[in-house]
Amino acid sequence: MPDQRAPVANAVVEARDVTRVFPMRAGPVVAVRNVALRVGAGDHMAICGPSGCGKSTLLHLLGCVDAPSDGTLLLEDRDVTTLGDRERSQIRLTRIGFVFQRFFLLPMLTAAENVELPQGEAGVARSERQRRTAALLQYVGLSARADHRPSQLSGGEMQRVAIARALANRPRLLLADEPTGELDQSTGEQIAALLDRVNADGTALVIVTHDVALARRAHRILTMRDGAIVSEGPS
Amino acid sequence: MNALVFAWRGLVRQPARAVLGIVGVAAASALLIDMLLLSRGLMLSMQDLLDRGGFSVRVTATEALPGTGPRIGQISETAAAIAALAAVDEAVPLRLAAAEIASDEGTEPLFVSFFAADSSHRRPWTIVDGRDVAGSGASTGEVLLNRQLADLLGRRPGQAVKVRASCGAAGASTLPPIVLNVAGIAEFPFDDPSQLSAATTLSDAMHACGDDRQDDADLILVAGAEGAGAESVRRAIQQSRPDLHAVTNDEVVARLQRAEFSYFRQISAVLVAVTLSFAFLLIAVLLTVSVNQRLGEIAALRALGFSQRRVVADVICESALIVGLGGALALPLGLALARWLDRILKAMPGVPSELHFFIFQPRAVAVHIGLLAATAILAALYPMRIVARLPIAATLRKEVVS
Repeated sequence: MPDQRAPVANAVVEARDVTRVFPMRAGPVVAVRNVALRVGAGDHMAICGPSGCGKSTLLHLLGCVDAPSDGTLLLEDRDVTTLGDRERSQIRLTRIGFVFQRFFLLPMLTAAENVELPQGEAGVARSERQRRTAALLQYVGLSARADHRPSQLSGGEMQRVAIARALANRPRLLLADEPTGELDQSTGEQIAALLDRVNADGTALVIVTHDVALARRAHRILTMRDGAIVSEGPS
Repeated sequence: MNALVFAWRGLVRQPARAVLGIVGVAAASALLIDMLLLSRGLMLSMQDLLDRGGFSVRVTATEALPGTGPRIGQISETAAAIAALAAVDEAVPLRLAAAEIASDEGTEPLFVSFFAADSSHRRPWTIVDGRDVAGSGASTGEVLLNRQLADLLGRRPGQAVKVRASCGAAGASTLPPIVLNVAGIAEFPFDDPSQLSAATTLSDAMHACGDDRQDDADLILVAGAEGAGAESVRRAIQQSRPDLHAVTNDEVVARLQRAEFSYFRQISAVLVAVTLSFAFLLIAVLLTVSVNQRLGEIAALRALGFSQRRVVADVICESALIVGLGGALALPLGLALARWLDRILKAMPGVPSELHFFIFQPRAVAVHIGLLAATAILAALYPMRIVARLPIAATLRKEVVS
């Protein structure tokens, strides 16, 4: 049930010589160093590397959650490097979807309400929200669990709801940070299959993971070390 | 899902925290509304007592309180002259005295406050049983008793009592008692619950005091003519009799407000500040803890595209809900508490039964709502700042690491 629009010829997101430095009391820490990458429509990319190598920071930069200290970030050919918080929020809301390792579903809302929430924020009409939410829950195989709260769902089910939520406003780009990190192997494979399906249906997918099996499902694997991309190639 | 509904769901999510917050705010704001009622209640109640008889101006010989200074002489002539003023409808001379009243020979007399007044239709008391003492000026041989006195004497309208008055002389009167018939049972506005009071006409009072030629009174109660304001009545009296001291009810209340009642205002101001501080701290702590517990969720919402304004609105709505629900609960709680406190304070000796310390005022409710709204906003400022400045990426990273 992801975006059915035709893929754009240009990159969904492009990082040009992007650097992210965190100023620390003990001295600046370079988390991402001169990274250049391009994620095209329909791309499926995995970013791998040891802990602390800058994978998540790069993902946050690509998702407009964080801003680069240097370099340029283009989203659908638009320079988003220096945009203000309001514009970046709007971009995240409508163009980018996020899936987190810890799901971050709101515990007081049902599965359907969690999926409906970003749509309401984007100003989608109530009837359209309900229709889209029902379709998304069916897409992730959780129609029967629409009225269940996160506490009544298994880890895999929670991640499915989180994926449905991430797709709620039909993003061009889905970013997933260790989406199987909290799941057992079997459930992780189900989630990986679901993410494959999302990508196959036209949404560009970038996954940060330590899971080799999950990374191998991507079209391209980027390996990072000390903030820099040290290798890039097909899986 | 708008911010208010979202905040409500957030509150319901942690019912114990929500209940604690709401009950805490309710307790603090119940005390707040009581203090707001107290700050003006006594003044309004006193104003009501003074206005109740329809007299808007009080005239005395000097600035001294009635009964503590010299009396107004030639009272019949003076009251008539004041009553003749265009701005004045009626002038009622009132004499304050003490008396011993007994029901029969041989019974122990009771010491009572003894009032005497002459008027055509307005009286500084209210008849609750029987009828008023008749006429103006002439001796009637009748007396009014308040309920407590009538009960103690076992007297009802139509029965007789023996009265020995002391009109100014220190100590007990040595005059022989006179017999007066009980015309009715009256309520005197400034009586306290244990006070024994009686009243009659000036003529009968002077007779009881043993001096029929005495022609003076402690004060004159003046009712303005229709359309004449209290201040214009006071000015007319003051121009006509500059030797006398005329004050409006408003001036009496203002004087009390500056002196005797100022303690209550100061106490209520201090307690208002304390209760507001308590409510502020309670809400600020609850919201800050709540926000800190949900930093990961808030960062995730921000990553999903929720604007800074929206997450700030969620916090202010949560604050508004806690304060709004607590404040609404505080109204009946505060009014019940006010009645209880009023009973306690009224038990102090010398406080008139009809005087209240806590008077319900729509203005106090409006101030209460305004202060609570301001508290809700101020208390939410710090947690609002936390969510507004939340570094999304760093928080998400921290949540995963933790």
